[in-house]
Amino acid sequence: MNTLHLYIRSMGMLLRSQLQYTSSFIMQTLAQLVMEGGEMLAVILVIDRFESLKHWTGGNLFFFFGLMSVSFYITEFFGRGVTGNFPSMVRSGQLDTLLLRPRGILTQVLCSGVDPRRITCIAVGVTALVMGSNMSRVSWNILKVLALAESIVMSCMLILGLFLIEGIFCIHSVKSVELVNALTYGGRSACQYPIDIYPRPLKILFTVLAPFALTMHVPAAYIMDKPLYGWPTWTVFVTPLSGALVFAILVMLFNRGVKFYRSTGS
Amino acid sequence: MVDLSYIEVENLRKTFTVRKKREKGKLLREKEIVEALKGISFTVEKGELVGYIGPNGAGKSTTVKILSGILNPESGRAEVGGRVPWKDRKEYVKHIGVVFGQRSQLWWDVPIVDSFSLLKDIYKIPENDYENRLKELTEALQLEKLMRTPLRLLSLGQKMRAELCGSLLHRPELLFLDEPTIGLDAVSKLALRDFLKWENKEHGTTIMLTTHDMEDIAALCSRVMVLGHGQKLFDGKLPELLERFDTVRTVAVKYDTDDPKLELPEGVEINKQDGEIRITYSPAEIPTANMLALLQNAGSIREMTLQSENIDYLIAAMYKEMDL
Repeated sequence: MNTLHLYIRSMGMLLRSQLQYTSSFIMQTLAQLVMEGGEMLAVILVIDRFESLKHWTGGNLFFFFGLMSVSFYITEFFGRGVTGNFPSMVRSGQLDTLLLRPRGILTQVLCSGVDPRRITCIAVGVTALVMGSNMSRVSWNILKVLALAESIVMSCMLILGLFLIEGIFCIHSVKSVELVNALTYGGRSACQYPIDIYPRPLKILFTVLAPFALTMHVPAAYIMDKPLYGWPTWTVFVTPLSGALVFAILVMLFNRGVKFYRSTGS
Repeated sequence: MVDLSYIEVENLRKTFTVRKKREKGKLLREKEIVEALKGISFTVEKGELVGYIGPNGAGKSTTVKILSGILNPESGRAEVGGRVPWKDRKEYVKHIGVVFGQRSQLWWDVPIVDSFSLLKDIYKIPENDYENRLKELTEALQLEKLMRTPLRLLSLGQKMRAELCGSLLHRPELLFLDEPTIGLDAVSKLALRDFLKWENKEHGTTIMLTTHDMEDIAALCSRVMVLGHGQKLFDGKLPELLERFDTVRTVAVKYDTDDPKLELPEGVEINKQDGEIRITYSPAEIPTANMLALLQNAGSIREMTLQSENIDYLIAAMYKEMDL
Protein backbone atom coordinates (compact mmCIF):
# COMPACT_ATOMS: atom_id res chain seq x y z
CA MET A 1 0.00 0.00 0.00
CA ASN A 2 2.82 2.29 0.99
CA THR A 3 4.61 1.50 -2.25
CA LEU A 4 1.54 2.41 -4.27
CA HIS A 5 1.25 5.67 -2.38
CA LEU A 6 4.88 6.44 -3.16
CA TYR A 7 4.35 5.62 -6.81
CA ILE A 8 1.34 7.90 -7.09
CA ARG A 9 3.14 10.76 -5.35
CA SER A 10 6.19 10.34 -7.59
CA MET A 11 4.00 10.32 -10.67
CA GLY A 12 2.26 13.48 -9.52
CA MET A 13 5.52 15.22 -8.94
CA LEU A 14 7.00 14.18 -12.28
CA LEU A 15 3.85 15.16 -14.13
CA ARG A 16 3.88 18.58 -12.57
CA SER A 17 7.52 19.07 -13.45
CA GLN A 18 6.95 17.99 -17.06
CA LEU A 19 3.99 20.30 -17.43
CA GLN A 20 6.24 23.22 -16.52
CA TYR A 21 7.42 23.26 -20.11
CA THR A 22 3.90 23.69 -21.50
CA SER A 23 4.60 24.48 -25.13
CA SER A 24 7.19 21.76 -25.48
CA PHE A 25 4.75 19.32 -23.94
CA ILE A 26 1.96 20.25 -26.37
CA MET A 27 4.27 20.03 -29.38
CA GLN A 28 5.59 16.64 -28.41
CA THR A 29 2.14 15.32 -27.65
CA LEU A 30 0.98 16.41 -31.10
CA ALA A 31 4.05 14.83 -32.64
CA GLN A 32 3.10 11.58 -30.97
CA LEU A 33 -0.41 11.91 -32.38
CA VAL A 34 0.97 12.27 -35.90
CA MET A 35 3.23 9.28 -35.38
CA GLU A 36 0.62 6.93 -34.04
CA GLY A 37 -1.99 8.32 -36.45
CA GLY A 38 0.42 7.36 -39.23
CA GLU A 39 0.60 3.83 -37.92
CA MET A 40 -3.16 3.63 -37.94
CA LEU A 41 -3.26 5.04 -41.44
CA ALA A 42 -1.10 2.12 -42.53
CA VAL A 43 -3.72 -0.28 -41.20
CA ILE A 44 -6.47 1.69 -42.94
CA LEU A 45 -4.53 1.43 -46.21
CA VAL A 46 -4.09 -2.30 -45.82
CA ILE A 47 -7.79 -2.71 -45.19
CA ASP A 48 -8.67 -0.41 -48.07
CA ARG A 49 -6.49 -2.40 -50.45
CA PHE A 50 -7.27 -5.94 -49.38
CA GLU A 51 -10.55 -5.60 -47.44
CA SER A 52 -9.54 -8.58 -45.39
CA LEU A 53 -6.46 -10.46 -44.27
CA LYS A 54 -7.04 -14.20 -44.34
CA HIS A 55 -10.33 -14.54 -42.52
CA TRP A 56 -9.95 -11.29 -40.56
CA THR A 57 -12.13 -8.39 -41.70
CA GLY A 58 -11.07 -4.75 -41.63
CA GLY A 59 -12.95 -4.19 -38.38
CA ASN A 60 -11.12 -7.12 -36.80
CA LEU A 61 -7.79 -5.63 -37.80
CA PHE A 62 -8.68 -2.28 -36.24
CA PHE A 63 -9.48 -4.09 -33.03
CA PHE A 64 -6.13 -5.91 -32.96
CA PHE A 65 -4.32 -2.68 -33.73
CA GLY A 66 -6.21 -0.80 -31.01
CA LEU A 67 -5.51 -3.44 -28.41
CA MET A 68 -1.77 -3.26 -29.11
CA SER A 69 -1.70 0.55 -29.09
CA VAL A 70 -3.61 0.84 -25.86
CA SER A 71 -1.49 -1.76 -24.04
CA PHE A 72 1.84 -0.57 -25.39
CA TYR A 73 1.32 3.08 -24.69
CA ILE A 74 -0.27 2.60 -21.29
CA THR A 75 2.95 0.77 -20.44
CA GLU A 76 5.09 3.57 -21.80
CA PHE A 77 2.95 6.18 -20.04
CA PHE A 78 3.21 4.67 -16.59
CA GLY A 79 6.37 2.63 -16.92
CA ARG A 80 8.63 5.21 -18.49
CA GLY A 81 11.20 4.57 -15.77
CA VAL A 82 11.67 1.06 -17.12
CA THR A 83 11.00 1.61 -20.81
CA GLY A 84 13.10 4.73 -21.15
CA ASN A 85 15.32 5.80 -18.33
CA PHE A 86 16.81 2.71 -16.82
CA PRO A 87 19.70 1.94 -19.19
CA SER A 88 21.00 5.48 -18.90
CA MET A 89 20.56 5.30 -15.14
CA VAL A 90 22.91 2.34 -15.03
CA ARG A 91 25.45 4.03 -17.24
CA SER A 92 25.40 7.30 -15.33
CA GLY A 93 25.75 5.56 -11.99
CA GLN A 94 22.32 6.68 -10.85
CA LEU A 95 21.69 3.08 -9.82
CA ASP A 96 24.03 3.66 -6.86
CA THR A 97 21.73 6.39 -5.65
CA LEU A 98 18.75 4.05 -5.77
CA LEU A 99 20.65 1.45 -3.79
CA LEU A 100 21.11 3.98 -1.00
CA ARG A 101 17.40 4.26 -0.34
CA PRO A 102 15.35 1.90 1.78
CA ARG A 103 13.11 0.84 -1.10
CA GLY A 104 13.07 -1.84 -3.76
CA ILE A 105 15.06 -1.01 -6.85
CA LEU A 106 12.31 -1.82 -9.32
CA THR A 107 9.85 0.30 -7.34
CA GLN A 108 12.21 3.22 -7.49
CA VAL A 109 12.89 2.75 -11.18
CA LEU A 110 9.15 2.72 -11.85
CA CYS A 111 8.77 5.83 -9.72
CA SER A 112 11.43 7.62 -11.71
CA GLY A 113 9.56 8.18 -14.94
CA VAL A 114 6.24 8.97 -16.52
CA ASP A 115 5.53 9.91 -20.08
CA PRO A 116 2.25 11.84 -20.38
CA ARG A 117 2.88 12.58 -24.05
CA ARG A 118 1.70 9.05 -24.77
CA ILE A 119 -1.84 10.08 -23.94
CA THR A 120 -2.56 10.83 -27.59
CA CYS A 121 -1.27 7.43 -28.65
CA ILE A 122 -3.56 5.81 -26.12
CA ALA A 123 -6.42 7.88 -27.51
CA VAL A 124 -5.69 6.65 -31.03
CA GLY A 125 -5.68 3.11 -29.68
CA VAL A 126 -9.03 3.57 -27.96
CA THR A 127 -10.49 5.01 -31.16
CA ALA A 128 -9.27 2.00 -33.10
CA LEU A 129 -10.74 -0.34 -30.49
CA VAL A 130 -14.13 1.35 -30.67
CA MET A 131 -14.09 1.43 -34.47
CA GLY A 132 -13.01 -2.17 -34.64
CA SER A 133 -15.66 -3.22 -32.18
CA ASN A 134 -18.42 -1.42 -34.11
CA MET A 135 -17.29 -2.61 -37.53
CA SER A 136 -17.00 -6.19 -36.29
CA ARG A 137 -20.44 -5.87 -34.66
CA VAL A 138 -19.17 -7.20 -31.35
CA SER A 139 -22.02 -8.03 -28.98
CA TRP A 140 -20.49 -7.07 -25.63
CA ASN A 141 -21.24 -9.01 -22.46
CA ILE A 142 -19.62 -9.11 -19.05
CA LEU A 143 -17.28 -11.97 -19.97
CA LYS A 144 -15.99 -10.12 -22.99
CA VAL A 145 -15.38 -6.97 -20.96
CA LEU A 146 -13.45 -9.03 -18.42
CA ALA A 147 -11.47 -10.70 -21.16
CA LEU A 148 -10.54 -7.31 -22.63
CA ALA A 149 -9.52 -5.91 -19.26
CA GLU A 150 -7.41 -8.95 -18.45
CA SER A 151 -5.84 -8.85 -21.88
CA ILE A 152 -4.78 -5.21 -21.49
CA VAL A 153 -3.40 -5.66 -17.98
CA MET A 154 -1.47 -8.80 -18.89
CA SER A 155 -0.15 -7.29 -22.11
CA CYS A 156 1.13 -4.30 -20.15
CA MET A 157 2.97 -6.63 -17.79
CA LEU A 158 4.42 -8.53 -20.71
CA ILE A 159 5.66 -5.36 -22.38
CA LEU A 160 7.10 -4.01 -19.14
CA GLY A 161 8.85 -7.34 -18.62
CA LEU A 162 10.35 -7.28 -22.11
CA PHE A 163 11.65 -3.77 -21.54
CA LEU A 164 13.36 -5.02 -18.38
CA ILE A 165 15.58 -7.19 -20.55
CA GLU A 166 17.42 -4.14 -21.79
CA GLY A 167 18.02 -3.04 -18.22
CA ILE A 168 19.36 -6.47 -17.33
CA PHE A 169 21.76 -6.41 -20.27
CA CYS A 170 22.86 -2.95 -19.26
CA ILE A 171 23.76 -4.09 -15.77
CA HIS A 172 25.95 -6.78 -17.25
CA SER A 173 27.82 -3.99 -18.99
CA VAL A 174 26.56 -4.86 -22.41
CA LYS A 175 25.51 -1.77 -24.24
CA SER A 176 22.09 -1.35 -25.77
CA VAL A 177 21.09 -4.52 -27.53
CA GLU A 178 19.16 -4.33 -30.76
CA LEU A 179 17.82 -7.82 -30.21
CA VAL A 180 15.79 -6.47 -27.33
CA ASN A 181 14.22 -3.84 -29.53
CA ALA A 182 13.23 -6.62 -31.91
CA LEU A 183 11.12 -8.04 -29.11
CA THR A 184 9.65 -4.80 -27.79
CA TYR A 185 9.19 -2.42 -30.70
CA GLY A 186 9.33 -5.26 -33.21
CA GLY A 187 6.69 -7.07 -31.19
CA ARG A 188 4.49 -4.01 -31.24
CA SER A 189 4.73 -3.63 -35.00
CA ALA A 190 4.26 -7.30 -35.75
CA CYS A 191 1.58 -8.13 -33.24
CA GLN A 192 -0.76 -5.34 -34.14
CA TYR A 193 -1.78 -7.90 -36.74
CA PRO A 194 -3.15 -11.28 -35.68
CA ILE A 195 -0.57 -13.98 -35.17
CA ASP A 196 -1.99 -16.55 -37.59
CA ILE A 197 -1.02 -14.51 -40.66
CA TYR A 198 2.66 -15.04 -39.88
CA PRO A 199 5.03 -17.87 -40.84
CA ARG A 200 5.96 -20.42 -38.24
CA PRO A 201 9.20 -18.93 -36.77
CA LEU A 202 7.44 -15.67 -35.99
CA LYS A 203 4.48 -17.55 -34.56
CA ILE A 204 6.82 -19.35 -32.19
CA LEU A 205 8.64 -16.15 -31.28
CA PHE A 206 5.48 -14.28 -30.37
CA THR A 207 3.75 -17.20 -28.72
CA VAL A 208 6.54 -18.69 -26.65
CA LEU A 209 9.26 -16.08 -26.12
CA ALA A 210 7.28 -12.87 -26.20
CA PRO A 211 3.74 -14.21 -25.96
CA PHE A 212 1.80 -11.29 -27.42
CA ALA A 213 -0.35 -13.85 -29.21
CA LEU A 214 -1.40 -15.31 -25.88
CA THR A 215 -2.06 -12.04 -24.05
CA MET A 216 -3.73 -10.22 -26.96
CA HIS A 217 -4.75 -12.30 -29.91
CA VAL A 218 -6.43 -15.16 -28.08
CA PRO A 219 -8.78 -12.90 -26.06
CA ALA A 220 -9.33 -10.44 -28.92
CA ALA A 221 -10.28 -13.24 -31.31
CA TYR A 222 -12.72 -14.57 -28.70
CA ILE A 223 -14.29 -11.12 -28.24
CA MET A 224 -14.90 -10.96 -31.99
CA ASP A 225 -16.37 -14.49 -31.97
CA LYS A 226 -13.62 -15.95 -34.15
CA PRO A 227 -11.68 -18.03 -31.60
CA LEU A 228 -8.01 -18.26 -32.53
CA TYR A 229 -7.15 -21.78 -33.75
CA GLY A 230 -10.66 -22.71 -32.55
CA TRP A 231 -9.46 -22.95 -28.95
CA PRO A 232 -12.17 -23.34 -26.25
CA THR A 233 -13.41 -20.33 -24.28
CA TRP A 234 -11.59 -21.04 -21.02
CA THR A 235 -8.24 -20.62 -22.73
CA VAL A 236 -9.15 -16.96 -23.24
CA PHE A 237 -8.76 -16.32 -19.54
CA VAL A 238 -5.77 -18.59 -18.99
CA THR A 239 -3.35 -17.83 -21.81
CA PRO A 240 -3.03 -14.10 -21.03
CA LEU A 241 -1.57 -15.04 -17.65
CA SER A 242 1.61 -15.81 -19.57
CA GLY A 243 2.17 -12.04 -19.52
CA ALA A 244 2.38 -12.10 -15.74
CA LEU A 245 4.63 -15.15 -15.93
CA VAL A 246 7.09 -13.47 -18.28
CA PHE A 247 7.02 -10.39 -16.07
CA ALA A 248 7.71 -12.46 -12.93
CA ILE A 249 10.62 -14.29 -14.56
CA LEU A 250 12.19 -11.07 -15.77
CA VAL A 251 11.73 -9.33 -12.43
CA MET A 252 13.57 -12.25 -10.89
CA LEU A 253 16.37 -11.92 -13.43
CA PHE A 254 16.39 -8.19 -12.84
CA ASN A 255 16.88 -8.64 -9.12
CA ARG A 256 19.66 -11.09 -9.85
CA GLY A 257 21.17 -8.47 -12.10
CA VAL A 258 21.12 -5.97 -9.25
CA LYS A 259 22.82 -8.54 -7.04
CA PHE A 260 25.41 -9.08 -9.73
CA TYR A 261 25.91 -5.33 -9.94
CA ARG A 262 26.50 -5.13 -6.23
CA SER A 263 29.12 -7.83 -6.30
CA THR A 264 30.97 -6.55 -9.34
CA GLY A 265 30.50 -2.82 -9.35
CA SER A 266 30.35 -0.75 -12.46
CA MET B 1 34.72 -8.89 25.77
CA VAL B 2 36.11 -5.85 24.04
CA ASP B 3 33.83 -2.91 23.43
CA LEU B 4 32.95 -2.70 19.81
CA SER B 5 33.53 0.52 17.93
CA TYR B 6 30.79 2.12 15.89
CA ILE B 7 32.41 1.19 12.60
CA GLU B 8 34.47 -1.98 12.54
CA VAL B 9 36.27 -2.90 9.38
CA GLU B 10 38.53 -5.87 9.26
CA ASN B 11 40.58 -7.12 6.38
CA LEU B 12 38.20 -5.87 3.74
CA ARG B 13 39.02 -7.01 0.24
CA LYS B 14 37.51 -6.20 -3.11
CA THR B 15 38.61 -7.02 -6.61
CA PHE B 16 37.17 -5.87 -9.87
CA THR B 17 37.39 -7.63 -13.17
CA VAL B 18 38.08 -5.13 -15.87
CA ARG B 19 37.38 -6.24 -19.39
CA LYS B 20 39.96 -4.88 -21.73
CA LYS B 21 39.29 -3.93 -25.27
CA ARG B 22 39.75 -6.86 -27.58
CA GLU B 23 43.14 -6.85 -29.19
CA LYS B 24 43.58 -7.59 -32.83
CA GLY B 25 44.04 -11.22 -33.67
CA LYS B 26 42.66 -12.46 -30.39
CA LEU B 27 39.32 -14.14 -30.16
CA LEU B 28 38.41 -13.29 -26.61
CA ARG B 29 38.77 -10.10 -24.73
CA GLU B 30 41.41 -10.24 -22.07
CA LYS B 31 40.36 -9.74 -18.53
CA GLU B 32 42.37 -8.00 -15.92
CA ILE B 33 41.76 -8.37 -12.24
CA VAL B 34 42.24 -5.19 -10.31
CA GLU B 35 42.55 -5.33 -6.56
CA ALA B 36 40.74 -2.27 -5.35
CA LEU B 37 41.08 -3.07 -1.66
CA LYS B 38 43.80 -5.35 -0.36
CA GLY B 39 42.68 -6.00 3.15
CA ILE B 40 41.76 -2.76 4.89
CA SER B 41 41.14 -2.61 8.62
CA PHE B 42 40.12 0.30 10.80
CA THR B 43 37.65 1.35 13.45
CA VAL B 44 35.75 4.56 13.90
CA GLU B 45 34.06 5.67 17.09
CA LYS B 46 30.63 7.24 17.20
CA GLY B 47 30.74 10.99 16.63
CA GLU B 48 34.14 11.00 14.98
CA LEU B 49 34.88 13.13 11.96
CA VAL B 50 37.25 11.18 9.78
CA GLY B 51 38.96 12.25 6.60
CA TYR B 52 39.82 9.66 4.03
CA ILE B 53 42.42 10.68 1.48
CA GLY B 54 44.47 9.10 -1.22
CA PRO B 55 45.20 9.57 -4.90
CA ASN B 56 42.63 8.74 -7.54
CA GLY B 57 42.02 5.03 -7.78
CA ALA B 58 43.31 4.29 -4.30
CA GLY B 59 40.08 2.63 -3.24
CA LYS B 60 38.40 5.46 -1.37
CA SER B 61 35.14 5.30 -3.26
CA THR B 62 35.14 1.54 -3.12
CA THR B 63 35.36 1.66 0.67
CA VAL B 64 32.52 4.16 0.81
CA LYS B 65 30.44 2.05 -1.54
CA ILE B 66 30.98 -1.07 0.55
CA LEU B 67 30.25 0.70 3.82
CA SER B 68 27.11 2.24 2.37
CA GLY B 69 25.83 -1.13 1.22
CA ILE B 70 26.05 -0.57 -2.52
CA LEU B 71 28.76 -3.14 -3.11
CA ASN B 72 29.54 -6.49 -1.55
CA PRO B 73 33.15 -7.04 -0.57
CA GLU B 74 35.11 -10.08 -1.68
CA SER B 75 36.01 -11.02 1.84
CA GLY B 76 36.50 -9.44 5.19
CA ARG B 77 34.22 -8.16 7.90
CA ALA B 78 32.52 -4.84 8.36
CA GLU B 79 29.93 -3.71 10.83
CA VAL B 80 28.40 -0.32 11.30
CA GLY B 81 26.46 0.12 14.50
CA GLY B 82 26.18 -3.65 14.74
CA ARG B 83 24.78 -4.04 11.24
CA VAL B 84 26.52 -5.55 8.23
CA PRO B 85 26.15 -3.03 5.39
CA TRP B 86 25.65 -5.48 2.54
CA LYS B 87 23.10 -7.63 4.36
CA ASP B 88 19.50 -6.45 4.44
CA ARG B 89 20.20 -3.35 2.39
CA LYS B 90 16.78 -1.77 2.90
CA GLU B 91 17.06 -1.85 6.68
CA TYR B 92 20.68 -0.74 6.74
CA VAL B 93 20.41 2.32 4.51
CA LYS B 94 17.77 3.85 6.79
CA HIS B 95 20.58 4.63 9.20
CA ILE B 96 23.06 6.22 6.87
CA GLY B 97 23.24 9.20 4.55
CA VAL B 98 25.50 9.55 1.55
CA VAL B 99 26.36 12.57 -0.54
CA PHE B 100 28.27 12.14 -3.75
CA GLY B 101 29.90 15.40 -4.80
CA GLN B 102 29.41 14.71 -8.46
CA ARG B 103 26.08 12.95 -8.51
CA SER B 104 22.72 14.33 -7.56
CA GLN B 105 20.21 12.46 -5.47
CA LEU B 106 17.44 14.99 -5.82
CA TRP B 107 15.05 15.42 -8.72
CA TRP B 108 16.30 17.72 -11.42
CA ASP B 109 13.19 19.55 -12.54
CA VAL B 110 11.22 19.89 -9.35
CA PRO B 111 11.38 22.47 -6.57
CA ILE B 112 13.70 21.11 -3.92
CA VAL B 113 10.98 21.18 -1.28
CA ASP B 114 9.04 18.63 -3.37
CA SER B 115 12.13 16.44 -3.55
CA PHE B 116 12.43 16.60 0.23
CA SER B 117 8.79 15.74 0.65
CA LEU B 118 9.19 12.70 -1.59
CA LEU B 119 12.24 11.64 0.42
CA LYS B 120 10.02 11.83 3.47
CA ASP B 121 7.79 9.19 1.87
CA ILE B 122 10.71 7.09 0.70
CA TYR B 123 12.22 6.98 4.17
CA LYS B 124 8.81 6.87 5.86
CA ILE B 125 9.67 9.78 8.13
CA PRO B 126 6.79 10.73 10.46
CA GLU B 127 5.19 14.05 9.49
CA ASN B 128 6.01 15.81 12.75
CA ASP B 129 9.60 14.74 12.83
CA TYR B 130 10.00 15.71 9.19
CA GLU B 131 8.70 19.25 9.75
CA ASN B 132 11.08 19.85 12.66
CA ARG B 133 14.08 18.42 10.93
CA LEU B 134 13.40 20.26 7.70
CA LYS B 135 13.08 23.55 9.53
CA GLU B 136 16.30 22.95 11.41
CA LEU B 137 18.26 21.95 8.32
CA THR B 138 16.95 24.69 6.05
CA GLU B 139 17.93 27.24 8.67
CA ALA B 140 21.38 25.80 9.19
CA LEU B 141 21.97 25.51 5.45
CA GLN B 142 20.24 28.78 4.56
CA LEU B 143 17.92 27.15 2.10
CA GLU B 144 14.69 28.91 3.08
CA LYS B 145 14.61 31.20 0.07
CA LEU B 146 15.45 28.44 -2.38
CA MET B 147 12.81 25.92 -1.38
CA ARG B 148 10.51 26.62 -4.36
CA THR B 149 13.34 26.67 -6.89
CA PRO B 150 13.92 23.64 -9.10
CA LEU B 151 17.27 21.98 -8.55
CA ARG B 152 18.45 22.70 -12.09
CA LEU B 153 18.35 26.46 -11.42
CA LEU B 154 20.56 26.33 -8.34
CA SER B 155 24.25 27.17 -8.32
CA LEU B 156 26.76 24.47 -7.50
CA GLY B 157 27.09 25.60 -3.88
CA GLN B 158 23.34 25.82 -3.42
CA LYS B 159 22.94 22.39 -4.97
CA MET B 160 25.42 20.90 -2.55
CA ARG B 161 23.54 22.45 0.36
CA ALA B 162 20.28 21.03 -0.95
CA GLU B 163 21.88 17.60 -1.35
CA LEU B 164 23.13 17.72 2.21
CA CYS B 165 19.69 18.63 3.47
CA GLY B 166 18.17 15.74 1.50
CA SER B 167 20.65 13.24 2.84
CA LEU B 168 20.17 14.27 6.46
CA LEU B 169 16.37 14.46 6.64
CA HIS B 170 16.03 10.94 8.01
CA ARG B 171 18.55 11.69 10.77
CA PRO B 172 21.25 9.22 9.77
CA GLU B 173 23.76 8.18 12.40
CA LEU B 174 26.48 8.09 9.81
CA LEU B 175 27.11 10.42 6.92
CA PHE B 176 29.43 9.65 4.03
CA LEU B 177 30.62 12.52 1.92
CA ASP B 178 32.39 11.78 -1.32
CA GLU B 179 34.33 14.87 -2.33
CA PRO B 180 31.74 17.32 -1.04
CA THR B 181 33.63 20.52 -1.79
CA ILE B 182 34.58 19.68 -5.35
CA GLY B 183 34.13 22.74 -7.55
CA LEU B 184 32.82 25.01 -4.80
CA ASP B 185 33.95 28.59 -4.31
CA ALA B 186 35.66 29.72 -1.11
CA VAL B 187 32.53 31.07 0.58
CA SER B 188 30.54 27.93 -0.14
CA LYS B 189 33.38 25.75 1.09
CA LEU B 190 33.59 27.59 4.38
CA ALA B 191 29.82 27.50 4.86
CA LEU B 192 29.77 23.80 4.12
CA ARG B 193 32.55 23.08 6.61
CA ASP B 194 30.78 25.10 9.28
CA PHE B 195 27.60 23.19 8.68
CA LEU B 196 29.31 19.81 8.90
CA LYS B 197 30.92 20.80 12.19
CA TRP B 198 27.55 21.93 13.47
CA GLU B 199 25.78 18.73 12.45
CA ASN B 200 28.54 16.64 13.98
CA LYS B 201 28.43 18.53 17.25
CA GLU B 202 24.69 19.04 17.51
CA HIS B 203 23.57 15.51 16.62
CA GLY B 204 26.69 13.47 17.18
CA THR B 205 26.53 12.33 13.58
CA THR B 206 29.58 10.33 12.62
CA ILE B 207 31.02 11.75 9.42
CA MET B 208 33.43 10.14 7.00
CA LEU B 209 34.58 12.24 4.10
CA THR B 210 36.79 11.57 1.15
CA THR B 211 38.39 14.56 -0.44
CA HIS B 212 41.33 15.87 -2.38
CA ASP B 213 41.11 19.21 -0.66
CA MET B 214 43.55 19.15 2.25
CA GLU B 215 41.97 22.23 3.73
CA ASP B 216 38.77 20.25 4.25
CA ILE B 217 40.75 17.81 6.32
CA ALA B 218 42.63 20.49 8.19
CA ALA B 219 39.44 22.36 9.01
CA LEU B 220 37.20 19.44 9.85
CA CYS B 221 38.81 16.18 10.67
CA SER B 222 40.33 15.17 13.93
CA ARG B 223 41.65 12.12 12.22
CA VAL B 224 42.86 11.25 8.79
CA MET B 225 43.38 7.98 6.99
CA VAL B 226 45.58 7.72 3.93
CA LEU B 227 44.82 5.09 1.38
CA GLY B 228 46.99 4.04 -1.52
CA HIS B 229 46.93 1.05 -3.84
CA GLY B 230 44.14 -0.46 -1.81
CA GLN B 231 46.05 -0.36 1.44
CA LYS B 232 45.87 1.82 4.49
CA LEU B 233 49.13 3.75 4.78
CA PHE B 234 48.47 6.12 7.62
CA ASP B 235 45.89 6.54 10.33
CA GLY B 236 46.19 9.33 12.85
CA LYS B 237 46.03 13.06 13.41
CA LEU B 238 46.77 15.41 10.56
CA PRO B 239 49.67 17.24 12.33
CA GLU B 240 51.39 13.91 12.88
CA LEU B 241 51.05 13.09 9.24
CA LEU B 242 52.45 16.46 8.26
CA GLU B 243 55.35 16.17 10.68
CA ARG B 244 56.35 12.90 9.17
CA PHE B 245 56.55 14.32 5.72
CA ASP B 246 57.48 17.89 6.41
CA THR B 247 61.08 17.05 5.56
CA VAL B 248 62.06 19.92 3.38
CA ARG B 249 62.21 23.65 3.86
CA THR B 250 63.49 26.33 1.54
CA VAL B 251 65.12 29.67 2.35
CA ALA B 252 65.67 32.30 -0.28
CA VAL B 253 68.21 35.00 0.67
CA LYS B 254 69.65 38.03 -1.08
CA TYR B 255 72.82 39.59 0.25
CA ASP B 256 74.12 43.12 -0.22
CA THR B 257 77.41 41.79 -1.51
CA ASP B 258 77.68 39.62 -4.58
CA ASP B 259 79.94 37.11 -2.97
CA PRO B 260 78.92 36.23 0.56
CA LYS B 261 81.12 33.84 2.53
CA LEU B 262 78.65 31.05 3.05
CA GLU B 263 79.84 28.07 4.95
CA LEU B 264 77.12 25.48 5.19
CA PRO B 265 77.26 21.90 6.39
CA GLU B 266 76.96 19.04 3.98
CA GLY B 267 73.61 17.74 2.84
CA VAL B 268 72.29 21.19 2.02
CA GLU B 269 71.25 22.04 -1.48
CA ILE B 270 72.30 25.45 -2.80
CA ASN B 271 71.06 27.17 -5.94
CA LYS B 272 72.31 30.56 -7.08
CA GLN B 273 70.26 32.57 -9.50
CA ASP B 274 70.20 36.31 -10.26
CA GLY B 275 71.87 37.13 -6.98
CA GLU B 276 69.34 35.12 -5.05
CA ILE B 277 70.48 32.08 -3.16
CA ARG B 278 67.98 29.30 -2.55
CA ILE B 279 68.89 26.89 0.16
CA THR B 280 66.95 23.72 0.69
CA TYR B 281 67.49 21.88 3.94
CA SER B 282 65.84 19.46 6.27
CA PRO B 283 64.81 20.89 9.64
CA ALA B 284 65.42 17.50 11.20
CA GLU B 285 69.14 17.72 10.41
CA ILE B 286 69.76 21.40 10.90
CA PRO B 287 67.34 23.23 13.17
CA THR B 288 65.98 26.32 11.50
CA ALA B 289 67.49 28.63 14.16
CA ASN B 290 70.99 27.30 13.45
CA MET B 291 70.45 27.71 9.75
CA LEU B 292 69.45 31.33 10.19
CA ALA B 293 72.49 32.01 12.36
CA LEU B 294 74.76 30.57 9.68
CA LEU B 295 73.14 32.74 7.04
CA GLN B 296 73.53 35.88 9.12
CA ASN B 297 77.21 35.27 9.72
CA ALA B 298 77.85 35.21 6.01
CA GLY B 299 77.14 38.89 5.40
CA SER B 300 74.44 41.54 5.61
CA ILE B 301 71.12 40.22 4.36
CA ARG B 302 68.96 42.37 2.14
CA GLU B 303 65.97 40.09 1.78
CA MET B 304 64.99 36.72 3.08
CA THR B 305 61.96 34.43 2.83
CA LEU B 306 61.49 31.14 4.59
CA GLN B 307 59.00 28.71 3.12
CA SER B 308 57.52 25.63 4.57
CA GLU B 309 56.01 23.47 1.89
CA ASN B 310 52.39 23.89 1.07
CA ILE B 311 50.13 21.19 2.47
CA ASP B 312 49.27 19.93 -1.02
CA TYR B 313 52.95 19.59 -1.86
CA LEU B 314 53.42 17.65 1.31
CA ILE B 315 50.73 15.22 0.35
CA ALA B 316 52.20 14.93 -3.13
CA ALA B 317 55.59 14.24 -1.57
CA MET B 318 54.02 11.68 0.69
CA TYR B 319 52.27 9.91 -2.21
CA LYS B 320 55.59 9.91 -4.00
CA GLU B 321 57.50 8.51 -1.07
CA MET B 322 54.93 5.85 -0.48
CA ASP B 323 55.19 5.07 -4.17
CA LEU B 324 51.59 5.71 -5.06
